[in-house]
Amino acid sequence: MPSVSMTVNGRAVTGDVEGRTLLVQFLRENLSLTGTHVGCDTSQCGACVVHVNGESVKSCTMLAVQADGAEVTTIEGLAKDGELHPMQEAFRENHGLQCGFCTPGMVMSAVDLLQKNPNPDEGEIREWLEGNICRCTGYHNIVKAIQTAAASMKG
Amino acid sequence: MADGSYTVLAGGTDFYPARAGGLGGRPPESKVLDITALEGLRGIAEEGDSLRIGALTTWSDLLHAPLPPYFAALKLAAREVGGVQIQNAGTLCGNLCNASPAADGVPPLLALDAEVELASQAGARRLALDDFILGNRQTAKRPDELVTALHIPKLSARARSTFLKLGARKYLVISIVMAALLIDLDDKGNVSKARVAVGSCAARALRLPAVEAALEGRPFDEDLLPRIGDEQLDPLTPIDDIRGTADYRREAAVALLRRGVEALLSQEAA
Ligand SMILES: Cc1cc2nc3c(=O)[nH]c(=O)nc-3n(C[C@H](O)[C@H](O)[C@H](O)COP(=O)(O)OP(=O)(O)OC[C@H]3O[C@@H](n4cnc5c(N)ncnc54)[C@H](O)[C@@H]3O)c2cc1C
Ligand code: FES
Ligand code: FES
Repeated sequence: MPSVSMTVNGRAVTGDVEGRTLLVQFLRENLSLTGTHVGCDTSQCGACVVHVNGESVKSCTMLAVQADGAEVTTIEGLAKDGELHPMQEAFRENHGLQCGFCTPGMVMSAVDLLQKNPNPDEGEIREWLEGNICRCTGYHNIVKAIQTAAASMKG
Repeated sequence: MADGSYTVLAGGTDFYPARAGGLGGRPPESKVLDITALEGLRGIAEEGDSLRIGALTTWSDLLHAPLPPYFAALKLAAREVGGVQIQNAGTLCGNLCNASPAADGVPPLLALDAEVELASQAGARRLALDDFILGNRQTAKRPDELVTALHIPKLSARARSTFLKLGARKYLVISIVMAALLIDLDDKGNVSKARVAVGSCAARALRLPAVEAALEGRPFDEDLLPRIGDEQLDPLTPIDDIRGTADYRREAAVALLRRGVEALLSQEAA
């Protein structure tokens, strides 16, 4: 079995995996980081979004061995010293979730959006979230949360 | 690779969904060759009188690249391919190799007269895109071959293009009809080249020579619109399916092509 090593949320990790193991399975099953969800088997829902070398990717659409040597950030890696990341805080404040299933992927996607475009308008936010599906909220409060986070991250 | 028993993996955005077996299912054991570490295959560069797009160039790479105005159609198509994460991982060449009749990349690349560069131990060869995609999920690529690049011939600074897609909703949708139009103008403002391709209306996207002939040599103005008609759609063989009937698709194709010419005219004015 191939062995993979990567940095996940700042921690160096190594594991033996079958070649066909998806990154999301490695995160959930080998590392017990179950904050990253699996909501479909067609790469459509976005519940599994994590950052690989700073870019948001669908971790169900990548093999663990393809992330060998990479820096991976999952939802568990966002809060620092017990303080929620401003994006997590904004989702909480604005009621940007109901059941919460889509939330880890939404938050990781949204953080990547603000890295690339610190001032997105509503249309840009909605377009960016095309690959993240939410069955509960109707997206309204998610968009509001991202706008709030954008404002608070500007300081 | 040489014995043709490997499946090539680029962005994986067609590969994983096609193979996952049930919720969270692992792709079955098979010999997979991941080519994503071949950095030399990624990126867009000028090469004499053409532009070379490496096989690992993603849709996001394309969107961020400074390219001449006649790449507008391809950039519009890039925004249609899934959401951001799919565009970050998915490659143009993966879209062509997968050869779906509804692949968004194919009509714009047909209009750009793209050539596909293939390599194997037996050597390299180039095929016109029109000869590369043979039908629904069928290409001329041999199992022992890798697609290494696309080549796009350069056009004049006056050339421009556009892409239109008709789907049942705005996002994440398989198209009912899509069209790419590209025109180049001579110094008198007449259409010197017209290249028109329509997708989702046959087993593969097709150029429409009769439409092109109706536009070429004409002044570039509103009078072009009524010159596009149903009788020029001949190579298309649209089907009836859950997304639309064949008749609806023909009508939609004509409407989309006229709208495309309008879009090109307004680009010109801008
Ligand atoms: C949620 C979602 C939405 C999507 N929406 C769209 C859409 O709107 N429009 C659209 O057109 N597509 C869409 N797609 C399909 C897909 O994202 C694109 O076709 C993408 O461009 C495929 O590229 P890839 O690099 O991921 O291909 P891969 O999945 O890596 O490969 C696809 C096929 O091509 C072969 N291959 C890839 N590269 C090479 C090479 N260099 N040499 C030889 N063989 C090769 C592979 O073996 C495989 O058979 C969508 C996919 C998903 C998951
Ligand atoms: S689990 Fe649905 S997109 Fe990854
Ligand atoms: S909050 Fe339930 S799916 Fe989004």
